[in-house]
Amino acid sequence: MVIKNITGPLVGLLLCTLGVAAPTPKPAYDFYICANINRNYTIGAEILTMNGVFQRDAAGAWQHLGYNDMGVTAVAFDPRDHRVWYTSALNGLWRTLDGGKSWRMCNGWEMTEARDVAVDPNAPDNVYLALPDGVAVSSDRAQTLERRENGLPDRGKFTQAIKVDRTRAGRVFAGCELGIYLTDDAAAHWRRVLPTKEMVTDIQQSPHDPHVWLAVTQSAGAWRSTDGGVTWVNFPNVPTSRALYNVTFDVTQPLRYAIGSWAHGVLTSEDGGLTWQDRNQGLPAPHRVWRVGVDPTGLLYASVFGETLYVSKDFGRTWRADALPGTVVNNFLILPRRAN
Amino acid sequence: MIARRLLIASFALGCAVVSSAQPAFVGPAPARTILPTPELQRAAYLARIDEILAWRSSQAKPGELFPEMTMIATKLALHQDAELCSRSVIQLMKTPASGPFWMFPTVNVAFLGRDQLSLEARQAIRKAWSREMQMRGDTENHWAMYYTSLYLMAELYPNEPGSSWYSGKSSADNLAEAKEYLIDWMNLATTVGQGEFNPTHYIGEYAIPMLYLATWAKDPAMRLRGKMTLDWIFADLAENTLNGVLHGANARTDDVSVIERGKALASFFSWVLFGNVPPIISYGGWGLYFATVAKNYELPEVIYRIAVDRPSDYVQRDFKRTRRRWRNSDVLMAPIYKTNYTRRDYAVGSYQGGLADPIQTHVWDVTWDVRDPRGVHNTMFSMHPVSSSYDLQTYFSELPDQMAKEVTKEGKASYDSPDKFLGGSRFEQVFQDLDTVIALYDIPVGTRFPHINGFFSKDLVQLTVDPSGWIFAQGGSCYLAYRPLAAYQLRPVALIKSSMTGERASLGDQQLFSPHLKNGTIVQAAAVSEFKDFAAFQAAIRALPLSFQLVTKPTVTFQTLRGKVVTCTFGAAPIVNGQPFDYTTWKLFEGPYLNAEKGSGRLTITHGALERILDFKTLSITDRVKP
Repeated sequence: MVIKNITGPLVGLLLCTLGVAAPTPKPAYDFYICANINRNYTIGAEILTMNGVFQRDAAGAWQHLGYNDMGVTAVAFDPRDHRVWYTSALNGLWRTLDGGKSWRMCNGWEMTEARDVAVDPNAPDNVYLALPDGVAVSSDRAQTLERRENGLPDRGKFTQAIKVDRTRAGRVFAGCELGIYLTDDAAAHWRRVLPTKEMVTDIQQSPHDPHVWLAVTQSAGAWRSTDGGVTWVNFPNVPTSRALYNVTFDVTQPLRYAIGSWAHGVLTSEDGGLTWQDRNQGLPAPHRVWRVGVDPTGLLYASVFGETLYVSKDFGRTWRADALPGTVVNNFLILPRRAN
Repeated sequence: MIARRLLIASFALGCAVVSSAQPAFVGPAPARTILPTPELQRAAYLARIDEILAWRSSQAKPGELFPEMTMIATKLALHQDAELCSRSVIQLMKTPASGPFWMFPTVNVAFLGRDQLSLEARQAIRKAWSREMQMRGDTENHWAMYYTSLYLMAELYPNEPGSSWYSGKSSADNLAEAKEYLIDWMNLATTVGQGEFNPTHYIGEYAIPMLYLATWAKDPAMRLRGKMTLDWIFADLAENTLNGVLHGANARTDDVSVIERGKALASFFSWVLFGNVPPIISYGGWGLYFATVAKNYELPEVIYRIAVDRPSDYVQRDFKRTRRRWRNSDVLMAPIYKTNYTRRDYAVGSYQGGLADPIQTHVWDVTWDVRDPRGVHNTMFSMHPVSSSYDLQTYFSELPDQMAKEVTKEGKASYDSPDKFLGGSRFEQVFQDLDTVIALYDIPVGTRFPHINGFFSKDLVQLTVDPSGWIFAQGGSCYLAYRPLAAYQLRPVALIKSSMTGERASLGDQQLFSPHLKNGTIVQAAAVSEFKDFAAFQAAIRALPLSFQLVTKPTVTFQTLRGKVVTCTFGAAPIVNGQPFDYTTWKLFEGPYLNAEKGSGRLTITHGALERILDFKTLSITDRVKP
C-alpha cells in the first residue's frame, strides 16, 4: 500500500537521487494507518475505542477518519478524488464517496474477511480485493464485484496481499498461499511467478524504480524482483524460520528496505538487501512487530503488537514510543496530497 | 481475532443475570415421565416458559431502568412496564455495540415492542441500526444471527434508502442479501450437512434466530423455513441426547460442557422442549431470548418422543461437515462421519477424528446416564491436546503467530494448555462400532504437546488398574474398560471451571497422561445389567482378543464385546470382520429416528407410527401417522 499512486511525484524524487535538477517541487504527502486499538475492549459491549483509518495531521497527531471498525486491514484511495476510498475489512469491502461521511458495504454474503484492497492508478475504476478464498475485482468503483480467478489454484488461493503495478493498467500481483500470481489483463488471467508452500504475506513496488519489487512470505523468507515481478531472487540473509509480515521501501532512500516480523522484529537493509540488520534494540521485548512503515520524511515506524506505535529517526538504530497505545497497525499508507 | 471476540459477548449474556430463586435450576431433577398427549406436552412446555419469564421479571429493581436487553424483552413479552421499557431502550441505544450478539437482542425488543414501545424508543433502535457499523463475524452461527436480524429489520423498515442503514444498502438490498444467504445456508445444511453440528452452547445461536424468523418474517416462505430449520435442529438435539444431556461428538463445545456434560445450553433446550433435565443457571442467559418468543413454536410430538421415549438401543449415523477451511487443505469443508449409539444407561458417540473446528471440537466419548447431571462428570474419552498455529490458520484468516495467544483471551482459556480436554487433532483417528471406540494417535515429532490426555472422572467408581493393561471402572450403570496402548501416568488434574477465565478447580478428577507420539486408546462400554458383577465384566474384557503395534503406523486388531473383529490402522480405512469400512455410502442421516439422503434437503423424522417430513426442496412439512 505504501507505494501506489505516487508515480508522478516520484519521477522528481528519482531525478533528485540521480543528481539531476528536479523540474518539480518536492511533493507533499499524507500519511495514513489502519489500526485497531483494542485494549480493554470486547465487542458486544459498549464500544470504547476508535478503530479503523487514521491520518496523521500537521501536528503529528493521529486523526480518526470514517467508520469505527476493528477489522480494517487496508485502505486505498481513488487517485482522481481522495474523497473516494475503500477499506478491506472483516465484512468485506467498504467504500465512501464523500470522504468517510457515509459508507457502503460493497460485497454481499459471498465475500468476507478481506485482507487487502488496491486501486489501479491507471484505471481507477478498477478495484482489487484480496480474499481468503481468492480475488474479487470491480470495474465500477466497487459498485459491483466479481470473482476473477482464472489461473489461480482451486485450493491455495488464500490472498493476503494485492498490489497494482503503477506503470501499467491491469497489471496486478496477488500474494497467495501457494505463491505470487501475476495478471496483465486486469485479473482475466493469472499466472504464478513465484511458488511458495505457505502464504505470501506482502508485496511492494519500489517508489524509486517500478521494475523493483519486494515480497515477504510466511516460510520462504524475502524476495526481490528487478524485472517487474517476472522473476524473483531470494535474499539469503533474511531468515526463513518464521513468518515475515510485511516489507517496505523508504521513499526517501532507494536502497533502504525494512521488514516487520512477529518473531524477528524489525530487520532493515540500507544497501539494497545485500546485508540485513536486526533493529530491535529499544523496542519492547518480545518485539512482536506486526507491521513496519516509513513515512514521507523517512521516519521508520514499527507497530509492536498490542503495545504502541514506535518511531525511529535513524532507520531503527534507536526507537522512541509514539502515539496510540494498545495499537495494532495493519497497514501504513503514504499518499500524494491532493486539493480535496 | 476480531470476530472471535464476539463470543465474549455471548458469555456475557449468560452471566448478566443471576440465579436467585430460579425454580427449575435449584429444584429437584425433573421426573422422567413421558407425557402421553400433545396437549399435556404443550401445557408443560408453556409452563416452563412461564417459569422463565416470571423469574426474570421478578428480578427487576423497582423504579430503575432495565440495564440490559433480556429484562426488556421479558417485560415486553409479558406486556408489563412498557414506559420503563421505552426509557431503558432509549438509554441503551445511546451506546449500541457491533455485531450479531447485539443485533438479535435488539431485533427481539424491536419486534416485541412494536405496539408497546414509545415512538422515541422505536426511533432510537432504528437510529442505532443506521449509524453503528455491524460486524458480521466469521462463523456460521454469527451469520445465522446477523442475517436473520438484518432480514427482519429490513422487513420491519421497508422502502428505506441506503443512507438510513449502516450497510449503505437500501432496505430492499439488505433484505435480498439476507434472504439469499439464509436460503443458501439452509440448502447447504440440509443437503451437504450441518457445519457447527451438535454444539453444546452454540445451539442457541441457531435456535434463537430461527425462532425469530419463524415468528416474525412477513414472507410466509421464510417463516416456514425458520420453523422447518428449528424442527431440524431440535430433532438433531433429541437424537443426540441421553435423558436430555447432549453427548458424543460436538463440532463446538467448551471446557466445562465437555466434562460435566449436562452443564450446557443444550440442556436448557432439552429442559424447555422435553422437560427431562434441569436447565443450567440463569437458563443460560440465552434461554431468556428464546423464552420471550418460545410460545410461537410448537414442538412436534415426534421430536418430543425421540427425546424421551426410547424403546430400545439404537445406532444413528449422521453426515456433517467441518468449518470452512481457508488454508492448508485440499477441500473447503471436509466430511464428518458421526456415530451415535444410545442405550438406556449410556451412550457412545464419535466422529472419525480430525478437526471439525479449530478450537472447540470434541471427537468422542462414552457418557453415562445419571439421574441428576448437575455437578457430575459423567464421561470418559481421550484426546490429543492441540495448540497449533497451522491449525488455526487453516480455519482463520489472520496472520500466524498471535492466534494461539489471542484465542486464550477470547473465551478459550485452555487452548494453549497441555492438560486440557477440549479440542480435536489431525493426529487422532477414531473408529466406533456400537459401544467400542478405538482411537489411534500418530503425532509427529516436534508437535507442541506431544502426548495424549485421557479423562478419568471423579464420579467413576471401582476404578481398577488391571495387570492385563486394561483400566476398569463403573460410571452410573455403565461398566467401562479403557485400554491405553502406551505407557501412561494417572494423575490428579485441576479442571477448568470457566472457558472465559481459565480458573481451575481440583475436584478429584484424573488425567491419563501418555507422553508417546504413537499411541492409542480402546474403550469398551457395557451395561451393568449385562453382567453378574464387576468381576464378570472384567473377565469378559480380558478374554477379548487384542493385538497392536505402535512402531510404524499404530495398528490395532480387537474383537469387540459385541463379537466384531475390528482392525484399525492410522491413515487407513478400518476393517470390520475382514471388510473395509466404507464411509462414502453414508447418508445425511440414517437410523431409526432420522433419515435423509445426501443432497435431498428432505429429513424424515420418525418415532413409532409418528412421522414428520421436512422437505426444503418443496418447502413443505408433511405429518402422518403410519398404519
